Amino acid sequence: MAERPEDLNLPNAVITRIIKEALPDGVNISKEARSAISRAASVFVLYATSCANNFAMKGKRKTLNASDVLSAMEEMEFQRFVAPLKEALEAYRREQRGKKEASEQKKKDKDRKTDSEEQDKSREEDNDEEEERLEEEEPNEEEEVDN
Amino acid sequence: MAAAAAGSGTPREEEGSSGEAAAPQPQAPTSAPGARLSRLPLARVKALVKADPDVTLAGQEAIFILARAAELFVETIAKDAYCCAQQGKRKTLQRRDLDNAIEAVDEFAFLEGTLD
Repeated sequence: MAERPEDLNLPNAVITRIIKEALPDGVNISKEARSAISRAASVFVLYATSCANNFAMKGKRKTLNASDVLSAMEEMEFQRFVAPLKEALEAYRREQRGKKEASEQKKKDKDRKTDSEEQDKSREEDNDEEEERLEEEEPNEEEEVDN
Repeated sequence: MAAAAAGSGTPREEEGSSGEAAAPQPQAPTSAPGARLSRLPLARVKALVKADPDVTLAGQEAIFILARAAELFVETIAKDAYCCAQQGKRKTLQRRDLDNAIEAVDEFAFLEGTLD
């Protein structure tokens, strides 16, 4: 049997954890039921993707965005998901902004350092590089070296 | 990590950083272990999204929301299936409970015929 998209499963451990936390203590779940829920979740994602894609195409966009997915939820009659998803989205955006700012700050600091160092070194490097090339005996002899 | 209680073998101390966890961590500290934004790995969700031949691209936010929605879906269907098991006075969720839930709940209609 050829591989179907439904075969793309989500990790069992995570699925099990979500199920257990949703259910009261002491409740168990059979392997078959758990695996069926896992497949259902995959089908859900595929269906939601397809719905969301329709909204994207309506908006003449080629990239699915968050609002497409939210619209898909309403279309699929999962309106009750919309509010918690919006909250999660806000939290996610905040986290991404924080990460971005942190990495941008690091980059700025790095650039500042290298910039000042480079200005001093660049003049020296021009002279040194030529000497190094001759010494290293690079196979690429097409490079012009000014003697 | 500073070795508080000597468990196994010789306690090691990390050199460089002082005693407590003063090492700079790139990740923002999360308040509670379950407070992560999404538990499902985004890469797997992305793979599912890409499986759709009509989809060209999907933004990061879209993938994230899909992952979160899938989690909510799992919670929802598990709870609905549990209601059926409760009626049978069982404490273990069986496959048939799931089937019953799918038949009973309109929103799960899209699952019919897909789980076999």
